[in-house]
Amino acid sequence: MPSSTSSSSESVDMSKFDRPLPKRQLRNTVIVAFVICVTLMTGWELYWRDFGVPASYRNSEGLWTIQRRRIDNGEGDKTVLTGSSRVFFNTQLDVWEAESGQRPIQLALEGTSPLRIMEGLADDDDFTGTLLVGVAPMLFFSGFEYRQAVVDRYGKETPTQWLGQQISMPFEPYLRFYFPDYALFQILHRQDWPVREGWNSNIVLDVRKLANYRKDRNARLWSKVADNEDYRNEARMIWESGFVPMDERDDAFKTMALEGRATQIERAVTATKKLHERGIDVIFVRNPAEGHYAMSEPMFNPRAETWDVLIEKTGALGIHWLDHEELQGFYLPEWSHMTGSEADRYTKALYHVIQRELAAHKNMQSE
Amino acid sequence: MLFNSLTFIAFFILVLALHNAPLSWTTKKTNLLIASYLFYAAWNPPFVILLWISTVIDWHVAKKLFTEQVQSKRKVLLAVSVVVNLGLLGYFKYGGFLMENFQVLMSMAGIDYQPPDWSIVLPVGISFYTFQTMAYSLDVYLRRAEPSKSFLDFALFVTFFPQLVAGPIVRPTHLLPQFATPRVATRQQLYWGLGLMTIGLFQKIVVADGLLAPASDAVFGATNMLHPVDAWLGTLAFSGQIFSDFAGYSTTAIGVALTLGFGLPDNFRYPYAAIGFSDFWRRWHISLSTWLRDYLYIPLGGNRKGNIRTYANLMTTMLLGGLWHGASWTFVVWGGLHGVYLAAERWLVARLGHHDVWNKLVARVLLALLTYFLINITWVFFRAPDFTTAWRMITTMLTFVTSGEKILPTVLVLQTVITTAVMLAIHWWMRNRRLDEVIDRMPVWLTGLLWGVMLMLIIITQGGSDAFIYFQF
Repeated sequence: MPSSTSSSSESVDMSKFDRPLPKRQLRNTVIVAFVICVTLMTGWELYWRDFGVPASYRNSEGLWTIQRRRIDNGEGDKTVLTGSSRVFFNTQLDVWEAESGQRPIQLALEGTSPLRIMEGLADDDDFTGTLLVGVAPMLFFSGFEYRQAVVDRYGKETPTQWLGQQISMPFEPYLRFYFPDYALFQILHRQDWPVREGWNSNIVLDVRKLANYRKDRNARLWSKVADNEDYRNEARMIWESGFVPMDERDDAFKTMALEGRATQIERAVTATKKLHERGIDVIFVRNPAEGHYAMSEPMFNPRAETWDVLIEKTGALGIHWLDHEELQGFYLPEWSHMTGSEADRYTKALYHVIQRELAAHKNMQSE
Repeated sequence: MLFNSLTFIAFFILVLALHNAPLSWTTKKTNLLIASYLFYAAWNPPFVILLWISTVIDWHVAKKLFTEQVQSKRKVLLAVSVVVNLGLLGYFKYGGFLMENFQVLMSMAGIDYQPPDWSIVLPVGISFYTFQTMAYSLDVYLRRAEPSKSFLDFALFVTFFPQLVAGPIVRPTHLLPQFATPRVATRQQLYWGLGLMTIGLFQKIVVADGLLAPASDAVFGATNMLHPVDAWLGTLAFSGQIFSDFAGYSTTAIGVALTLGFGLPDNFRYPYAAIGFSDFWRRWHISLSTWLRDYLYIPLGGNRKGNIRTYANLMTTMLLGGLWHGASWTFVVWGGLHGVYLAAERWLVARLGHHDVWNKLVARVLLALLTYFLINITWVFFRAPDFTTAWRMITTMLTFVTSGEKILPTVLVLQTVITTAVMLAIHWWMRNRRLDEVIDRMPVWLTGLLWGVMLMLIIITQGGSDAFIYFQF
C-alpha cells in the first residue's frame, strides 16, 4: 500500500509536489514591476491632488459602525444625529459642541431613510440621549436605503471587517485617490459614452464626491461643489437624473407610493413611542432645499399629507425650516446641501431653535 | 478572511514573517495551524468548531480503519466519517432545500405542511473542506494510503488556509507529505508565488468584479424580457466572471501556498479553449472533477460495466456535482446538462471520432466555439435565481425576439465584449502552454511592465471586498 498519506517522507519523492517555476530568475522582473507600480501610483495620486481633492476619511460602512458602537460603549446618553445627507452635511459637530458643550454622534447616511437606525435605537436600552431625525421627504417617506449595507453591517460585522477598517483608517487621510468616487470603474462608467440605440437612458446617475469626512463622521461639503461651476452643475444634473413627474407616473406607482408612505409613518410612530416611553426626546427636522427639490419634494410628498401627519401621529417635536425664519436664507450650491461656512451658521441656528422649541414642546405636554 | 481585503495583506505578511523566522518545523506548522483557524474564524468564529469536528472524527476513523480487518466494521467506521461530514453539509447547506421540497411533496399529496423557519447561516467553504477530509477517510478505507502519523499534520491538512474555503480540494496524498519535512520558499518560489497572487487578485478584483459583474448582475437581476443582445452579453459576462472569480481564487491560493514553500495542484487550465466537454472538465475545477471521478464515478463502476451503466454513472456524477454547488434545482439542471453533454459527446466520439477532419484547425476552432456556446447555456441555469428567469433568458437567447428591453449601457457592452474576446484569445493561445514557460520567453521589461500595471489596476479599482462566488458553495 502506498504510504503517501503518511506524514513520513521516507519513500516519497518530494519534488513531485513542487510547482513548475520560470527558469529565468525573477529578481529583476520584480524590481521592474515594483518601480512601474510605484511610478504609476505616484502619478495617479498626484493627479487627484491636482484635481483638488482634500484629505478625508472614507465614508465607509466601518466608519459608521464605529460611531454606532459608541452608544454601546458608554456614550448612549449623547445626542444622536440621524437622517440623510442634509443632516449629515449641514450639521457641524464642532459648532454643535461649542453651543451645547457636548459633541453629538453622527449616524446620518446619505440617500438613506433613517428609520431602521431609529428603530434600532428604539430597541437599544443603551441609548438614553436625545435623537434628532432628519426628514428628507423622498427618502423618509419611501423608506429607500441607498446605504442599506451600512445599516446591515452593524451587529453583523465580522472580525475581518473590523480589522480591515482599523488598517484602512491610518492611510485614508493621506491618499487622495483612495476614495470611491475615484475608483477605476467609477471613472470609466461616468465618461461621456455614445448612447446605445434603443437603450433606456432615463437612469439615476451615480453621485459624485460631495463632502469630506473626519474620523467621527463630521461631514463638510467640498468647496469644489460651491466654487467650480462645472462640478456644481454636474451635481445638479445628477439630482435631476431619472426624474419623472408625478403626473406621468402610472397608477400602480402612485398606489405603491401612498401605501409606502403610510408604512413609513407607522414605523416612525412605533419607534418614537418606544423612545418616548424611555424618556428620550425625539426631534424631527426638515432641512432646507431649493431648485429641483423645491419643485419635486412637494409634488411627491405634500407637506400636509406627510410631514404634518408624521408630527401629529408621533407627538414628537418637528422643526420645519419653512416655519422658522432663522433656518432660511442659507446658500445651497446644488440645491440640497450647504457650504461649510453656511452649515456652521445653520447648525448654530438650528441648535437654538431646537432648544427653544423643545422647551416649549415639553411645557405644552406637561400642561 | 477574504484574499481581496486589507486584513489579508496584514495577515499574510505576519504569517510569511513567522514562517521564515528561525523556529522549529513543529512550531512553524503550529503557527500555520493557528493562522488557518484565525483565517476561518475571521468570518464567523463559532464555525471553527465544525472544522474541529471534521478533524477529530476523520483522524480517529482513519486510524481505526487502518488497523481494523473485519470488513463489516470497516464499513461502519467509514459510514461514521461519511455521515458526520455529509451530515454537517446536509444540515447547513441542504436543510432548507429539503424542507422546501418536502413541503411541495406534501402539498401534492393534499397535506398542508408548514416547515419550520430554516434561517441558518451557511459556513463558508463547508463543501470544500468536507470533501477534502472525506477523501482522507476514503483513501484509507480503499487502502489507497496509510493514515497520517501526526495529528498536527492532519489538522493542518484539513485547515490549511490558502485553499481552505474555495479549493483547490487537495488530496491527502498531495499535501500531507509536504508537511513532513521543513519547507520554506526559495527566493524564486517567493517571487513566483507573489506573481501568481497578483494574477489571481487581478482576475478577481479587476476582471470579475470590475469588468464583468456589473453587466451580469444587471441582466440576471432584470425582471422584464430583455433584448437578445443584452441576454447574451449578460450570459457571456457571467461566463467570464465565474471563471475569473473562481480561477482568481485558486491562482491566489496556489500563489500564497508557494510563498510558504508548498505546492498546490492546478485547478484551472484555460477551460474556455476546451474542445468538447471531457476536455472542459479536465480544465475546469479540476480538483472537484477528479474528486468526483475517483470517489463517485469510479466506485459506481465508471465505464467498466457497459454502455448503459456508463451513461447512468456519468449522469449521476454530474447531477450530484451540480447539487454540490448549491441547494437549488437550477444547479441540478446545470449538472444535468453537463451530464447530457458528456454522454452525447461519448456517443458521438464512439461513432464519428475516428475521422481525420477533427484534427484540422478549422474543425477544432469550431468545436471549441460550439463547446463554449453550450457551456454558456448551462451558465444561465447556474446564475439565474430561479427557473422563471432562466427560461426567460434561454428563450430570449435562442429565439432572438428583439422586442425586449435594452438595459446595458454602451460602457458595459464594451467591457463585456472586449473582456470576453481577450479572455477567449488568451485561453486559446495558452491552451497547450504553461505560464512559467511563456514568462521565460518574454523579455524582463515586458513581464515587469505587465506585473506593475496589474498591481496598479488592482489598487485603483478599490474593490469593495466582494466575496468570491464559490464561497457560497
